[in-house]
Amino acid sequence: MIEFKNLNKSFGDRQILKDLNIDIPQGKIVFVLGMSGTGKSVLLKNIVGLLKPDSGEIWVDGFPVHEMSEKQMSQVRKICGMVFQQPALFDFIDVYENVAYGLRRHERLREEQIQERVVESLALVGLKGIEKKWPHELSYGMKKRVSLARTVALKPKILLFDEPTTGLDPISTSRVNELILDLSRKLGTTSIVVSHDMKSALSVADHIIVLDKGRMLSQGSPTDMRNSSEHLIQEFLQEV
Amino acid sequence: MFKVQFIPMVLATLESLFTEGIRFKELVKHIDDLAYKSLNIIVVCVSFAAAVTIVEASFHMKMILHDDSLVPGFAAMLIVRELAVVVMALLLAAKIGAGIAAEVGQMKISEQVDALRLLGINPFNFLVLPRLLACLLAGVTLSLIANSVCLLTAAAVSVYELDQSVTYFMVAFRRFVVMKDLWFSVIKGMTFCAVIPLVSCYYGFRCEPGAAGVGRATTKSVVSSSIAIIVIDFILTYIFSHFY
Repeated sequence: MIEFKNLNKSFGDRQILKDLNIDIPQGKIVFVLGMSGTGKSVLLKNIVGLLKPDSGEIWVDGFPVHEMSEKQMSQVRKICGMVFQQPALFDFIDVYENVAYGLRRHERLREEQIQERVVESLALVGLKGIEKKWPHELSYGMKKRVSLARTVALKPKILLFDEPTTGLDPISTSRVNELILDLSRKLGTTSIVVSHDMKSALSVADHIIVLDKGRMLSQGSPTDMRNSSEHLIQEFLQEV
Repeated sequence: MFKVQFIPMVLATLESLFTEGIRFKELVKHIDDLAYKSLNIIVVCVSFAAAVTIVEASFHMKMILHDDSLVPGFAAMLIVRELAVVVMALLLAAKIGAGIAAEVGQMKISEQVDALRLLGINPFNFLVLPRLLACLLAGVTLSLIANSVCLLTAAAVSVYELDQSVTYFMVAFRRFVVMKDLWFSVIKGMTFCAVIPLVSCYYGFRCEPGAAGVGRATTKSVVSSSIAIIVIDFILTYIFSHFY
């Protein structure tokens, strides 16, 4: 479903992704782990064309993302939802409009249907009744969950999470993990989660990929990771 | 990371006007924010600039020619051709240019610009075009208002400070200023006001993370807009001089 072939990406002199080859099967939850600055977020942004690779290929649901223009990318972006590292809520509209924004843009729904979808999505992330609040009135954790609701409301086939649990309390973290599991199981959504959180990865992921300095260090099931002798993976496991 | 270049940004913004149209809700909001809410500061500042022009011109003419009877005419010409519109544009560059750069910059570093792109919204059409159109409209209306306010102030100062009558001021005005001057003033106002949102959005889109990044973006935006206004003023003045 998502395929990276010999992917390379640099910023100036600094090469972030080096000859990366990854296959992500449909309907699976894949965690991408690694230290800060190893190119995890860059990898996600390449999938939806927010960044373009220097060389290599990216195939998303049959679309050759690496050679698509900004206009053509709208086809891919319709099937992909992304929760950014920062909440990225639009601060000029309230929570309701934030969640409804993509629905109005991408789907032909009546206002009642939009309202239903907004309320349902906010309930999914445990934030009922905050529709009329403004982003600046919310805590960081709440903003991240609204951002998640905005993405989930569009019911995308592919969900990309850029450190979804960073800055969240343990209860919200476990709620987000459950939500990722739920969406994958019920809707068959493919999820790619970029994270530092090995505990979440071990409990939620079908497959874990570990990046180190822009290259793939290791990949496998959570059991494979538990049994890995790689030093970096051992360090991540020590924190669990 | 959403990095833009100036010329491609301008072209993409203009292209989006024809391919995606105008977001009227955004346009109305920006007309209020950028034009209407700048009115009071412009009225106050250009009034004082006009008053200073009359007083200074009178002082120097009296010193050299021992006669300040030509001051109203020269001052009116200077006001309509240069002073009102340039002071207005420089004030707008400081007031709204900094605001636009900070707002767009903050949106960029908090990934709101990426979120817009992901939702299929063209950031140039959403962020640049409404501000550009609002500023163009502001350019027309505010240059006319700035000219009117300047001339009224100049007339008032002429009456009270130079002991000249309103009729004398009007006669001098009609003799020195032609309709062409007013049209050129409006064209200058529109051009200056088009530069401000384009330069400010450009620096906003190139904003680096952090408070320092936003600070640098706003500073660069105000400095570059101001320099651009002065340079464009010279170019337009030179071009217009061939029409007299």
